[in-house]
Amino acid sequence: MLAANDWLTIALAKGRILPPTLELFERAGIGCGQLREKTRKLIFSIDEHRLRFIMAKPTDIPTYVEYGVADLGIVGKDVLIEQEKELYELLDLKIGPCRLSVAQKKGYIEASGGHVATKYPRVAEQYFQSRGKQFEVIKLHGSIELAPLLNLADVIVDLVSTGKTLEENDLVEVETIAHITSRLVANPGSYQVKGGRVSTLVNMLEQALSKGEEAQC
Amino acid sequence: MNEKIKRLLTPEGVKDLLPGLAGQKREVEREIQEIFGRWGYREVSTPAFEYSANFVGDMKAELADKTYRFLDERGRSLVLRPDFTLPLARVAATHLAGEIKPLRLCYGGNIYRYASSRQGKQRELPQAGVELIGCAGAAGDAEVIALAAAVLRALGLFEFTLCFGHVGFLQKLLDSYGVEPEAAEQIKDYFNKKDYVSLKEMVGGLPLDEAIKGNILRIPTLRGGREVLSQAAGLAPAGAAHEALATLDEIWQALDDYGVSSFITLDLGLVRTMDYYTGMVFEGYTAGMGYPICGGGRYDQLLGHFGPEQPAVGFALNLEHLMEVLQRIRRLPAISGFTYAAYEEGSRKRAFAAASELRGEGQKVIVDIEPRTNEDALNRCKAMGASRMLYFISEAGVEEDGGQNVGS
Repeated sequence: MLAANDWLTIALAKGRILPPTLELFERAGIGCGQLREKTRKLIFSIDEHRLRFIMAKPTDIPTYVEYGVADLGIVGKDVLIEQEKELYELLDLKIGPCRLSVAQKKGYIEASGGHVATKYPRVAEQYFQSRGKQFEVIKLHGSIELAPLLNLADVIVDLVSTGKTLEENDLVEVETIAHITSRLVANPGSYQVKGGRVSTLVNMLEQALSKGEEAQC
Repeated sequence: MNEKIKRLLTPEGVKDLLPGLAGQKREVEREIQEIFGRWGYREVSTPAFEYSANFVGDMKAELADKTYRFLDERGRSLVLRPDFTLPLARVAATHLAGEIKPLRLCYGGNIYRYASSRQGKQRELPQAGVELIGCAGAAGDAEVIALAAAVLRALGLFEFTLCFGHVGFLQKLLDSYGVEPEAAEQIKDYFNKKDYVSLKEMVGGLPLDEAIKGNILRIPTLRGGREVLSQAAGLAPAGAAHEALATLDEIWQALDDYGVSSFITLDLGLVRTMDYYTGMVFEGYTAGMGYPICGGGRYDQLLGHFGPEQPAVGFALNLEHLMEVLQRIRRLPAISGFTYAAYEEGSRKRAFAAASELRGEGQKVIVDIEPRTNEDALNRCKAMGASRMLYFISEAGVEEDGGQNVGS
């Protein structure tokens, strides 16, 4: 039978994704007030719903879930593609929509090789390899737009939402590799052993999502 | 890196087991084999490497890529076994072809795969498992699931779930809906990875009825108790997939008779990677462990590769993950203490005799390799962590110093 009386631990990403994530939980009837308070706490318990939230760096979330210290996680598809962990992807939460794209300097002439700067070395490597291009990947941790300006790289692979940052730095988006939103992921153990609780939460979030869509219309 | 440090390293994905854990692992393996034996399964041992031809044809590219392959002195391609089911099928179809069926075989040993995150990061993976060969139908399926539950319970696990499904359900359902084979493969792949986001996207774009799309997307919710089967029957057009559902119902009833229904869950979206599964498939999970601790299923066509076709079903325990769980819930076998026997000059023979007698009773005794003073021996006893010390002197007999119950 599906066990239903356990606590569920969910890893959430700190940063710009957090407020809309909390809103979604609240629309699903799960009050997250204490998570909004300015505090350095990293673990929050909501006794009423037997939920525990862990606050983590986005790129660490798949790891917490993979090892089972979190049952579920909410994380961007960009991180999931890059890390290729075998997690179950249960729901598209439609939060933080953007694109993982290739961009280059205005006037750059396409070549079969060069340098690409990115936070996503694996994705970039695969992208250029599958096109038969030999690009050397330069891993950076932020401000990727700097690399072409300083001639460190010819092209970049990065997240683009409005395209404003690119424009301001004289870059143009040339191809979309993937459309990105936040996903609800689970590890196989929690998905099976805490199956009842996971299914209920997925249902609640699904309903909250469709409610949200109606409200936008 | 300097040469000395290099020599201290082991390659990626393999590790040393040190005193303590190594013995505990052997003890756990012994317990498992003993339970297999009590259910009438007989152990066989197969070589660690075999001809590639025995394996590669039956593996999905995904597993083939993870297999260690090398050439022998005549240039023939060999593999380090990536799995036990294929070698056991070979043994059953050749050496044991004439034996009365069903054949109950078990095994224990390492398999070798280049790391995939599904298996954790290890590349040498200890397994123990069984194959029930020459037995078709739900009764055999239920026996191996019940045996898996019996082993996990005997090892002291109480919080685990064995989820089972049937590869025929999804296949027949998609066939009856007229889904193209290529799309069906992709759908099965998404079910295997439980990538329900991509599934939804892909199914949404297929040239199918909205009602049928809705049905496919409901399969992930078909999890739980026996009631799932009637919900599933409602999705399938008359006749299609009903055979699979009837088998699952029979398995459920048999498992109820075995008294293990509290550990089982139906999951009709369960698909396992190995292509050779033809019927029931199952996986075992426990709380706080992201990887399966066991898994298996029915493979009715595999023996046909080596001889006459025979129905068969089996499962394997992933000892790596199982040991981790047992360690966490403090259910690893206890390590018993040992006696330290020391002696003064001239009393070695008496120390040896006493040690021999104690060993005969099954006790662990370490006899010092050189004579010591009593004080010296006491210090050494403490440093070694012995649970008691015997000290032999030439005239007055033994002096015992108990009370040093270290680490018990």
